[in-house]
Amino acid sequence: MSKGVTIRMQRRSMIVLIILVFIGFPLLAFRLINLQIIQGEFLQKKASEQQLTDTKINSKRGTIFDRNMKPLAQSASVWTVVLEPSYIDSDEKRELICSGMHEILDIDKNKLIELSKKRSCYTIIKKKVESDIKDKIIEFKTKNKITSGLRLIEDYKRYYPFKNFAAAVLGFTGADSQGLAGVEAYYEKTLKGEPGRILTARNALGTEMPFEYEQLVNPTPGCSLKLCIDECIQRFMEKTLEEGIKTHKVKNRATAIAMDVNTGEILGMAVKGDFDPNEPFKIANPEEEQRISALPEEERAKAKNEALSYQWRNKAISDTYYPGSVFKMVTASMGLELDVVNERSNFNCTGSIKPYEGARPIGCHKRSGHGSQNFVEALCHSCNPAFITLGQRIGVENFFKFYKSFGFHNKTGIDLPGESSDLFFSADGSMALIDLCVASMGQNFGVTPIQMITAAAAIANGGNIVQPHIVKEILDENGNIIKRIDPIIKRQVISEKTAKRVTSMLYENAVHGAAKNAYIPGYRVAGKTGTSEKIGLSAPGQKDYISSFCGFAPADDPKIAMLVFFDTPKGEQYYGSAVAAPAFAAAMQDILPYMGIEKVYNEEELEKIDTVVPDLVGKNISEAKNAAASLSLNTTIIGNGNAVTSQTPDASSHIPKGGTIILHTDSSSSNIKVPKFIGLSVSEVNSTASAVGLNTKLSGLKLEEPDVKVSSQSIPEGTEVPVGTVITLNFVHNDSSGE
Amino acid sequence: MKAKRVKKVLNENNSSNHLGDNKALMVKQKGKQSLFKKLQLLSIRSDMDVPFLFLVITILVIGLIMMFSASYPNAFYLHNHDSFYFIKNQLVFAFLGVAAMFAVSYIDYHIFHKFAVPILGVSFLLLMVVLVMPPINGVHRWIQLGSFSFQASEITKFAIVVSFSHFISFNLHRMHTFKYGILPYLLILAPTIVLLALEPHISCSVIVVLLAAGMLFIGGIKLRWFGMVLGAIASALIYLVVFTDKLTYANNRISGWLDPFGASSGVDTWQTRQGLYAIGSGGILGLGLGHSRQKYLYIPEPQNDFIFSVVCEELGFVGAVIILLLFALLVWRGMLIAIHAKDKFGMLLGIGLTAQVGLQVILNISVVTNTIPNTGISLPFFSYGGTSLMMLLAQMGVILSISRSSRLEKT
Repeated sequence: MSKGVTIRMQRRSMIVLIILVFIGFPLLAFRLINLQIIQGEFLQKKASEQQLTDTKINSKRGTIFDRNMKPLAQSASVWTVVLEPSYIDSDEKRELICSGMHEILDIDKNKLIELSKKRSCYTIIKKKVESDIKDKIIEFKTKNKITSGLRLIEDYKRYYPFKNFAAAVLGFTGADSQGLAGVEAYYEKTLKGEPGRILTARNALGTEMPFEYEQLVNPTPGCSLKLCIDECIQRFMEKTLEEGIKTHKVKNRATAIAMDVNTGEILGMAVKGDFDPNEPFKIANPEEEQRISALPEEERAKAKNEALSYQWRNKAISDTYYPGSVFKMVTASMGLELDVVNERSNFNCTGSIKPYEGARPIGCHKRSGHGSQNFVEALCHSCNPAFITLGQRIGVENFFKFYKSFGFHNKTGIDLPGESSDLFFSADGSMALIDLCVASMGQNFGVTPIQMITAAAAIANGGNIVQPHIVKEILDENGNIIKRIDPIIKRQVISEKTAKRVTSMLYENAVHGAAKNAYIPGYRVAGKTGTSEKIGLSAPGQKDYISSFCGFAPADDPKIAMLVFFDTPKGEQYYGSAVAAPAFAAAMQDILPYMGIEKVYNEEELEKIDTVVPDLVGKNISEAKNAAASLSLNTTIIGNGNAVTSQTPDASSHIPKGGTIILHTDSSSSNIKVPKFIGLSVSEVNSTASAVGLNTKLSGLKLEEPDVKVSSQSIPEGTEVPVGTVITLNFVHNDSSGE
Repeated sequence: MKAKRVKKVLNENNSSNHLGDNKALMVKQKGKQSLFKKLQLLSIRSDMDVPFLFLVITILVIGLIMMFSASYPNAFYLHNHDSFYFIKNQLVFAFLGVAAMFAVSYIDYHIFHKFAVPILGVSFLLLMVVLVMPPINGVHRWIQLGSFSFQASEITKFAIVVSFSHFISFNLHRMHTFKYGILPYLLILAPTIVLLALEPHISCSVIVVLLAAGMLFIGGIKLRWFGMVLGAIASALIYLVVFTDKLTYANNRISGWLDPFGASSGVDTWQTRQGLYAIGSGGILGLGLGHSRQKYLYIPEPQNDFIFSVVCEELGFVGAVIILLLFALLVWRGMLIAIHAKDKFGMLLGIGLTAQVGLQVILNISVVTNTIPNTGISLPFFSYGGTSLMMLLAQMGVILSISRSSRLEKT
């Protein structure tokens, strides 16, 4: 037998070799392809889930600007202080960090030590730390050469520099900087940006791997918003609402909306009875807060929640109200458009009307009746029987058709959260005849203020329903425009001619009619007052009212519409003409010149125009007298000198024609006490003022009207002022039948 | 027979001389080649196989690097922050092992004829001793001598290869009979399997059976035996699967194997699952050497049986395939050395030792990739274990010794 290898052995060896090398190993390779390439992503995801801790870094929220780029809401850096217990490897380090943080952040030291012993790589010890404290921590870290175990992570805090200003529009953000109301909530996605993250690897024990493995994904800052709101206009509106609430003891907040009638841009939207978005969870009304803290504990939380949602509620879009007589401008538009009435149509008001056989008579606000009147007069009188008659002519079907096309039956779609729907008699527009009667005068159906002003804007702009909107532009972090929100005209609802006719009636109403308290000399205001009873919503045994005014200016080329609305005035007055119209006028008096709208006076007004006081100082007395006389101004000389040494009022100030300039010829000066003007008529004002030597500037009204009385004076009673000082007196119409 | 072989070699040389087409080149090379041939003839029976040595050293170096990488988180966290805890030990044994490999390569492998029966005796003895040793992780596999410990089955595998080579090479012409071809081997194998099953050490039993089968196959037993054994195994499996539901352990193990991510099974699939996460995380190019995340205490003992999953995670598919290729080349080269061995004993010994490495690689990676159910098999040259590595290198020395007399080009 040979020792050598046989052929068969070699052949069989080759078979073994082939099985191992050409079958075994390739099989393994295929298995690896499956696991590493085909299933790789799935397995990697599973592995990452257990290996990585994902820490969110908040992105910087975009700024909210007004239309002139004044910031109304901004985010500023604050810091989150994080303890990294897995890096605290010695007791000395633990002691150092914990006592340092105890000192700087005022956190209980034992609690810190306990936290630092937990097996974790990320424990938040304090959130929203301001930068002065952050600097202290950084100094502490540098001083003690702490490079790990304590960490600062940037976060952001929302600031509203003007506090309560425009709070209902802006809304506010929550603890995680998420928008919870207003523009902040509606544009949450735009403002928020993309949060970044820190990915940290950890081992199976949950502690961090001791080797550097960290991935930072930087956050993308959010976009900024440029609102249509004009800070100044908003301010004028808020001021007038605040004054109105105070004067008329308004119980259930007030709101005002100003809209560019041609573009639908909301120039201002004020809700008063508001809150500070810097502290949205604090009850802003101190009385309410006291009431709630006096409640038994179990009721307190619920009461607090109710109070909070009440103060957050944007009355301008979330509350429905009976528009009342303001709606008569819409009814009038329907009548003129349908040609069932014209300016010369005659209506006879006997003080009440029985709309149809068998109906209960409905009274006019003037019990004695307005008598025979044409349609323009009926509107100026806000005569209920006239509009009930008109309503019958329009009919249920047409009424609802226009109601819908004026946009009352749909949400306006304004870019704010929480817009309410209207409350009509029925969803399909059917209603009883008696409903039609009251609906014609704006009663018994609810609309939102934003719907009402959108309809009024349509009358002002020639019949077009525009899309009301708050945001004008979306900007990137560097202020470049990403998106511009263009005006949208939804539809034409009445012809331009009808719109013009209604406008001139409303102008007439402001000049001579019930809306005269809203009139501003030179600015051609058109508008309609409204007083609606809160049927079913009043406190028991009382009659509560909503007092509103809706108008626009200038009537010959309307630019801005404004609705002012006081809910439940509890003062002496509650009529729209007495409460809302003066507030409208007060705001518009500031807004219209601010918008650069020129004054155009009619002849009556020209006579009352103010004159600029000339500079008479240094002139001799006769020269001064002549100069004053040439401007129809009187002079009173005090002192024995020959030349004027000082004058009151000063040069360049305004006084009415026929006013008096006090000329001092020596250094003597005399002060007088300002008397009480409030409640006086024009003639009483004149005699009182000249008796003490004050110049008066009369504002607000057509002064030749018999019933105007001073409602406010620019210098309070009892103040000592130099003789000749100009005091501005505001007049309102005192006719309480002004509805 | 010898004359026949020499003639064949000469024929091969002739044919290789006629390979060139270009005459000028051929003339030029002819002188060179004859000189080369002379040198080669001189080196026969003296030089060891360089490619095989090269492959062993390459795989060993890669294995040590990967063992260090895979082991340092465990060493850091569990052994007093000493990242070098495992590699220090392994390096010492690697150097001893390489020395042993060279030393063994100089020994004439025929000496194992004398050791065949004694080694078998030692194997049985150790397999019995190990059963009275205190269990580690519930199994009796390690024999502890002071701080030094080793697996008894390492000796068993070697003993089977040596003794089978010895008996087959003497009885080659009678291998077709039952008395000489089957019976002696059955008498060795059966008690070995029983003892291994008592430890229990199923994976080692599988390797032993496969090695024995391979060697008997090459030895020339009748193929019908394989048919019979396979038939018996198949019917046993069918019986177990179809007629018994008592084997809940096996059932759980199999359900854990089929669905490692399912939480329902009673068996703990944590290790398999973590290994698969690691392999999958590697993707095509891997996370880079040292950048495995799964080794951070996720994979239990990543330096042991599951080291290949860390290799896959750090070196990716490309790296893993290169390592597979190196192992395949090692097996290929080892087999070639064996096939061209001087005599039957050398051939059988070489094939047995090479196949043992190949089988262990294939089974280990099959386990790590969850291709077969999880069972404890280490990866040669990679897994942590000093005595095992030293033993392995010494066995490589035996192959090198065989190569010294093998009729194979060794450069």
